Amino acid sequence: MPGLFNHAQFSPFAGNAPEEAASPWLVRVIHASVKGRARLEVKGLYRCEPVRLRIESALARHSGIRQASANILTGRLLIVFDPVQEVGEITVLVEQVLAEPTLASEWPVASRGASPAPVQEGGNWHVLPGNAVLADLETSSERGLSQDSVQLKLRRFGANSLPRIPPRSGLNIFLGQFKSLPVALLGMSAVLSVATGGLADAVVILGVVLINAGTGYVAESQAERTINALGETASQKALVIRDAQLGEVGAEVLVPGDILVLAPGCRVAADARLLESRNLMIDESALTGESLPVIKAVEPLEKPDVSLGDRINMVYMGTVVTGGSGLAVVVATGRQTEIGTIQVLVGETRPPDTPMQRQLATLGNQMVLLSVGICGMVFLIGLARGYGWLQMLKSSISLAVAAVPEGLPTVATTTLALGIRNMRRHHVLVRHLDAVETLGAMQVICLDKTGTITLNRMSVLTLHSGGRRITLANDAFYDSGVRMDPYQSDELLRLMHVAVLCNETELSGAAGDYMFKGSATETALVHLAIAAGVSVDALRQQYPRVQVEYRTEKHNYMRTTHVMEEGRKFIAVKGSPAEVLELCGWWIKDGVRLPLTETERAAILIENDRMAGEALRVLGFAYMELAQEADETSAQDLIWLGLTGMADPVRQGVKELIALFHQAGIDTVMITGDQSATAYAIGKELGLSGSKELNILDSTRLEQLDPEVLTGLVQKVNIFSRVSPANKLQIMQALQRAGKVAAMTGDGINDGPALKVADIGVAMGGVGTEVARDVADVVLEDDNLHTMIVAVSEGRTIYNNIRKSVHFLTATNLSEIMMMLGSIGTGLGTPLTTMQLLWINLVTDIFPALALAVEPPEPDILSRAPRDPQEPIVSSSDFKRYGFESFAMTAGAMSSYGYAVARHGIGPQASTVAFMTLTMAQLLHAYNCRSDQSRVVSHEPLRPNSYLNLALGTTAALQLASVAVPGLRSLLGNTLPGLTDMAVISAGSILPFIMNGATKGKEPFEGKRRQALLPSDLTVEV
Amino acid sequence: MMKKDFMFTSESVTDGHPDKLCDQVSDALIDRFLQQDPFSRVVAECAVSKGILFIAARFASQASIDIPDVARQVIGQIGYEHGAFNAKDCTVMTSLMELPALSYPQPDERQMGEEELEAITARNQANVFGFACNQSAAMMPLPIWLSHKLARRLAAARFQKQLPYLAPDGKTQVGVEYRDGRPHRIHSITLVASQWSTVLRGHDKLRDDLHEHVIEPAFLAEELRPDARTHVFINPDGPVVNGGPSLHSGMTGRKNAVDTYGEYSRHSESALSGKDPSRIDRVGAYAARYAAKNVVAAGLAQACEVHLAYSIGITRPVSVQVDSFGTGSIPDAEIAARIHAHFDFRPAGIIRVFNLRYQPQLFRGGFYRRLAVYGQVGRMDVGLPWEATDKAGLLR
Repeated sequence: MPGLFNHAQFSPFAGNAPEEAASPWLVRVIHASVKGRARLEVKGLYRCEPVRLRIESALARHSGIRQASANILTGRLLIVFDPVQEVGEITVLVEQVLAEPTLASEWPVASRGASPAPVQEGGNWHVLPGNAVLADLETSSERGLSQDSVQLKLRRFGANSLPRIPPRSGLNIFLGQFKSLPVALLGMSAVLSVATGGLADAVVILGVVLINAGTGYVAESQAERTINALGETASQKALVIRDAQLGEVGAEVLVPGDILVLAPGCRVAADARLLESRNLMIDESALTGESLPVIKAVEPLEKPDVSLGDRINMVYMGTVVTGGSGLAVVVATGRQTEIGTIQVLVGETRPPDTPMQRQLATLGNQMVLLSVGICGMVFLIGLARGYGWLQMLKSSISLAVAAVPEGLPTVATTTLALGIRNMRRHHVLVRHLDAVETLGAMQVICLDKTGTITLNRMSVLTLHSGGRRITLANDAFYDSGVRMDPYQSDELLRLMHVAVLCNETELSGAAGDYMFKGSATETALVHLAIAAGVSVDALRQQYPRVQVEYRTEKHNYMRTTHVMEEGRKFIAVKGSPAEVLELCGWWIKDGVRLPLTETERAAILIENDRMAGEALRVLGFAYMELAQEADETSAQDLIWLGLTGMADPVRQGVKELIALFHQAGIDTVMITGDQSATAYAIGKELGLSGSKELNILDSTRLEQLDPEVLTGLVQKVNIFSRVSPANKLQIMQALQRAGKVAAMTGDGINDGPALKVADIGVAMGGVGTEVARDVADVVLEDDNLHTMIVAVSEGRTIYNNIRKSVHFLTATNLSEIMMMLGSIGTGLGTPLTTMQLLWINLVTDIFPALALAVEPPEPDILSRAPRDPQEPIVSSSDFKRYGFESFAMTAGAMSSYGYAVARHGIGPQASTVAFMTLTMAQLLHAYNCRSDQSRVVSHEPLRPNSYLNLALGTTAALQLASVAVPGLRSLLGNTLPGLTDMAVISAGSILPFIMNGATKGKEPFEGKRRQALLPSDLTVEV
Repeated sequence: MMKKDFMFTSESVTDGHPDKLCDQVSDALIDRFLQQDPFSRVVAECAVSKGILFIAARFASQASIDIPDVARQVIGQIGYEHGAFNAKDCTVMTSLMELPALSYPQPDERQMGEEELEAITARNQANVFGFACNQSAAMMPLPIWLSHKLARRLAAARFQKQLPYLAPDGKTQVGVEYRDGRPHRIHSITLVASQWSTVLRGHDKLRDDLHEHVIEPAFLAEELRPDARTHVFINPDGPVVNGGPSLHSGMTGRKNAVDTYGEYSRHSESALSGKDPSRIDRVGAYAARYAAKNVVAAGLAQACEVHLAYSIGITRPVSVQVDSFGTGSIPDAEIAARIHAHFDFRPAGIIRVFNLRYQPQLFRGGFYRRLAVYGQVGRMDVGLPWEATDKAGLLR
């Protein structure tokens, strides 16, 4: 144990930091205005567990101190002390404690052994030489830890895992149902009812509360399960050396002292000090926010207090190896890692509500205030009109109960969770709840070319040899459309021999089922030779390779030397056509060697241009045979063989997909490292810019561009060419500065930062790296980009459906308020009894709203423009519309009631008519809420929503039962309406329905206009 | 009547000037398109600012071109290979619009009969001007002739590594004093030469170097040379460091006077660079120069300006005007009549006479691109068909 801590335990004070001695303060008073309490800032406490323990234990032993608690996350110390003491004395005391030299045995580690929190050094491993670290941790870089000491340490330090947010318990969710303001209001009403003698009312109110809570509980616990499943990631592995053996272990069993082997693409599993680095590059953006990878070294640093980003001999948990390799010794695990401390700081709260959930909560509270205010008014008006105060109080309370949209939060959560489940069925994994919302607002999608748009498989499509242009289709050679045998052309065959010899792709397996191992370009060349019937292995055996010169900055070609019989040499060259051509003095046509004239050179270069312009990657080939003793460096007269043009074919259906995105008002941006001619050809093929001009930004140094300029340009650009994956971050940031909601696809290690910054980071589940999947908001499990459009549709539908529910809840609740207010205001008495009001609340509030939330997508959902992300879910114009609709319903119900009062007088009969009319009108109104568009204007019918039909059918049946079933009838104070009354009820509920339907938004949608603008060839059937 | 005694100045710029850089990129694109497909229709306009090159190209062509790559080649060949704006790293933003495809085969002007030539009308409206005078061997006004010579020398001193510290951007101006309508003496010479920040030379060193390697060689074969009273201004505003697109912006078609006669005579407002030969506002200017030069070569006038006016939908120019500024040996109307008789000003006729569709294939390194710097007329180095005086005999 002492061995573990004998180096620089808290170097700022006791140890090896002379520069620290000059620091002006060790302890500073932050807050001491209350006698006997002081909040101090203590230097060196921040993120230093040992200092915390030392201060706390030392002060606890002090008689004048009642309580001392230090916080390593803020670096502050709260002391409660005997008020007779001055703050000054306390600070001096703390300083003394800090200055005391400590013996290792004093470490409170042992005494706190029972505490589950393991104590590891938070310390300064970066100033120590590597072997000192190894010695401290009792390990060695060759052998690693022994299995025994691993077990020992594991027991002491605990598992190397970060604290997980515990899922909400069922009870918690159930109790949560009672925490909202609307439910609190209902509870108060129940209490008031009891106080005023209305026990039955109270029971019904409690029934309402319980039913609501029950529905909410069921819906939310299902949603919770879905949401909790989002965070689950596959368990991480780490490569370690233990007992002198290299092996893979689960990341959670790492302990300090383990020797980690770091390779590209792997995620660092614990904080570790580097022992060896071979160009090790680490992306530390998860920890430091720095998007550029950091190059790591092993030398100890001089100063202890350097920022994390500058501790270049340390690697930290959660960061990613982007290049090179290295060896490191684990120094901290679990909660003690840097990322662990951050997670402890921020991770113990639940993820925040999505913007929409927040908006809905506000809306719900506003509705509560509104109904409370109006109920108060109804009560006062009633009193003024001379109704009994008790009756008015009951009516007001029940009105408040009916008018409160207590179902709102449940509807939102349920809908979002259902949407996530629905998307999972389409193999779209949504990893954050708010991504669902953002999907619906997506305005731009940035697509990787390689892998996403294309197959990431090169193949040779065109050859130019002996002045002829030969094309390939399905491994067959065609000379101006006529099938040809490559063996008939000497120069073509030689070209393919050179392509195979000047090539490092390894071939294995049997004919017909070859396995290639090499770069995409070289593999394509070997494939070409095989297609032509060249025996690759035999050729390579016949001409063994003795020397390889790779392409460099200076010369853009590769050159290999092979031995031929009689000691002669064969030199094969492939590379940039212009440069290879420069080396040539001859060419071959129909098997005859001819000198290369200016005319032929020009013709070859024009052909090169043409092939490059057709988006082909063009390579030139040449060869030479040398006598045994010839000096090969002086010989520059190579023999030109020809050109190959290869391309990475576009995936099927991407063109249609791009058109679908455009139709949905989503701009598409392609990002590629290719030359812009390739990019242009693909952009044109895919119709990336629709019918407008195609804008290509060609830049290798995007990061050097003025951010403002890029912000301006990015809104116009359809293709970024020659950019590196790291530039995606700049592109994404520029799009966001331009106010766009943008998605970005990616699968590589370098894509991580951009995916994280993107409003919607989209990772490929199959081919993507772990990093990409980890930071993405959406994972396409089957690598099929088409599912993105499903996700967009789903995102938009969910948002719309929640709006529909809100629409329904708001309009119907308003109508109840208006009805009561209008009737009492005009002296027609209370049209609805308290029981009737509560019944309305039960029957018409939550079930139709839930059913509306699972509406199928509207048929034109993908031909509308994305919604404005700034727009609130319910705008003021929506409110006006809802007000109008509820006025229509109220008017219908009031007319019926007025008629009934005229016929039967104020009493149960008239109330029954009002009750039936209003409820029926509300149920019918659910159908109006299905779409903002008038069915008269829209041509396409909505897809049926069987849930809604079921919910409305059931509630309508219940409603009829309330007058038909005698017990229920008397409970509600209903009477059996006569035929005329029924006619009046029908008229009073159907007329508002027709009126509201007919006056719906007549203006055609933005999307409709967009669709008309699209040229006919771009409109694709969904 | 031409004035007798006056002073006139004209400027020229080197190939590294941002405006000229844009012109060269535009015309290099025209070359590439025509090399692959002589019947390409192309309009290519460039602008450069803040180290970003913008290219807007609209085209109908069978050719396929890597447009940014062409631009980078031009930038690199001009000499921007390092520094803030360079061929490798600079950002190129292309805005490409493909026009509806042409129907092939396109009629070749070289094989057209009279009727077909007559059927091809002007597709743009344009006033174009051609000028020639006997002030220099190339029959160009002396100020622009000398300015171009200086600009070429300035660029050559850098290319030939005599003054390797020079950067590609540069500007020259020459003021010529006229007596009795003839150049009398060199009034002033201005050179603005940019230098790389890494190898900055002092002003005295620069002045001596430019005298030795630029001014003296430029005037070597000239009749008029700077005299003791000639003002020589070298970087009068102080040193220009690096220069080029990282310092100031440029645009295609903003140096029309440099392309033509240095404002000594009139010139058309529309740009010459970045247009394929079917654009009469470009090739009409060549035809007008051809006519004017032959008039002076025939001795019909000492100075002659030919003005052609084209209307959309009409084959022949609606007006052919000649002004000899009182130097004519026969009346201007008579000159105009003779021009009319011997020169073909029809759009297709001009393409045929000058073989404009095929020139880029004949010149390695491009044809139009060479025109984009040091003047589109009055060139003695390229062998331009409109600089030939083969019709002088017919006019006499």
